[in-house]
Amino acid sequence: MFSIGIRYCGGCNPQIDRSRIIRNLKNGLKKIGLSVNFNADKKRDVDILLLINGCMHACLEEEYRREGNNPPFISVKGEMVNDHYIEEKSIPEFLINKIMDLLNSSSK
Amino acid sequence: MMNGKEYIDSLRNLNLEIYFFGQKIKSIVDEPMFQPHIHTAAMTYELAHDPEYEQIMTASSHLTGERINRFTHIHHSIDDLVKKVRMMRLLGQKTGTCFQRCVGLDGLNAVYVTTYDIDQKHGTNYHERFKNYLLEVQKNDLMPSGAMTDARGDRSLRPSKQQHPDAYLHIKERLKDGIIVSGMKAHITGAINSHEIITMPTRTMGEEDKDFALSFAIPADAKGVTYIFSRQTNDTRRLDGVLDGGNPKYGIVGGEAIIVFKDVFVPWERVFMAGEYDFTNELVETFAGYHRSNYGGCKVGLADVVIGGSNWIAEAHGINGASHIIDKLTEMIAMAETCWSCTLACSYEGHQTPSGAYHIHPLLANVTKLNITRMVYEWMRLAQDVAGGKIITLPSEKDLENPETMEILTECFAGKEGFPPMDIIKMLRLIENMSVGAGLPEAMHGAGSPAAQKIMIARRSGVDRKMDLAKIISGISKDTYFEDIIGKDEDAHWNEVKKKIKEKKVQLY
Repeated sequence: MFSIGIRYCGGCNPQIDRSRIIRNLKNGLKKIGLSVNFNADKKRDVDILLLINGCMHACLEEEYRREGNNPPFISVKGEMVNDHYIEEKSIPEFLINKIMDLLNSSSK
Repeated sequence: MMNGKEYIDSLRNLNLEIYFFGQKIKSIVDEPMFQPHIHTAAMTYELAHDPEYEQIMTASSHLTGERINRFTHIHHSIDDLVKKVRMMRLLGQKTGTCFQRCVGLDGLNAVYVTTYDIDQKHGTNYHERFKNYLLEVQKNDLMPSGAMTDARGDRSLRPSKQQHPDAYLHIKERLKDGIIVSGMKAHITGAINSHEIITMPTRTMGEEDKDFALSFAIPADAKGVTYIFSRQTNDTRRLDGVLDGGNPKYGIVGGEAIIVFKDVFVPWERVFMAGEYDFTNELVETFAGYHRSNYGGCKVGLADVVIGGSNWIAEAHGINGASHIIDKLTEMIAMAETCWSCTLACSYEGHQTPSGAYHIHPLLANVTKLNITRMVYEWMRLAQDVAGGKIITLPSEKDLENPETMEILTECFAGKEGFPPMDIIKMLRLIENMSVGAGLPEAMHGAGSPAAQKIMIARRSGVDRKMDLAKIISGISKDTYFEDIIGKDEDAHWNEVKKKIKEKKVQLY
């Protein structure tokens, strides 16, 4: 099963509701019948990482950039995902599309 | 990179049409009225060559890898953002006034960030054009002025509805090889001693204002461009001598001008926005964010000078040990460092934009500037308080030079032994210049008036989340962490507590 590792920033002053985004993402994936294994255990191997930064400063991202893109990561940073500005309410949907793209490309 | 003298010499090559005092000015470089502003801008060039300051005054171009003046650099890291405000404080310390060049720097960065985003959405090629322009700026170490604020006419009407169409800079005609523009930009700092002009829209535009959604760069002496230089407090004292000017080397404020564009041709390769009204808000907010963050650097540099001056005057008057003087000076320092903390914070909390350039934290940048609109007045008020009434009653330097009055005035202004009266007068004039003059409203309105900062602060404050926090703490919403800590449902916990109290099963009652 496709696995996603979730990593959260420290959450000092988030501009988005990080747990709601994950909740809506999980529900959205469930709705379209996509089975994805989410885990927050840093020791387990995963297919991709989902970095959930509360703001655009993206404390987490620097750490994972240093480690290279292995495994690849999607970075949510406030109302921005990777290098796209996305409104908070649209972030789960954007992530679902990203995950679908990754799944499609890995199955080719 | 040019040094200070080379910068001044480079201005001689410009053929600008400037008016001031009802006259057309032949050469700003040779006129005492304009020289202080030129000297200040020259400091931004000069310090880049001093090994003691090159770490913050220069940067490595992300386009060429070459060493460039930081005033032409696109910020590509948090470190760049921090060094930018360190550079602002340093230059404030070295000049005691506005050194003008940050407006162009912020314009370069804001247009860089926004053109990338416009291209992503509209498939235009503004960003490539802008990078080519940037290369030119970096290679020749140019100083562009940043021209944002339009004349604006009737503020209640949109740009396209104004009685005078030139109240806002706009496209008059679109040609195959470029555009024809007309309009006015007001309060443009450093305009008459810049090599280039970068224009940006002054406000968010709607579809009906398409022709006003405009950004471009032109040489400062482009055909059809005219400057009308603005007055400042005590400006003609520069023509009375040296001492009365207060800060005769570097002046009072940056030197602002109205720029009039009359049917100016701009080739397409120098146009960076032409109708993309949906990006005017981004460009304005990005520029404003960068620029507002600067004020916690430059004005704190000025505060360093005025705090030093106030302390020196207190020593010269023999009152430096008085507790109320120590208290006032400490208050000034605390306020200045508060603003410095704000600007460092908005730099350290910056972020990478899709273009790869870094932007400051917008909420904190607006808080920085809002503090500046208040605290500069407050620390300058304290400077006036410490300096004493003499700062507004000093005699003219002509009386100090007149043999008939010189001796008595020297006696009158004598202070503690070791402080020559003439030095005391010089310092009082500096404090007068800095604390009474145009620098105060500049701190208020430069980079936008307080209301503009409050709009941005309100918009970005995330007050809904703050309400959620309060609802959880007050007990209106569920506090899952609290329930985990106590190991049970919150209602059950309080029922138990109430029961214990009722049954007097508590020790303290």
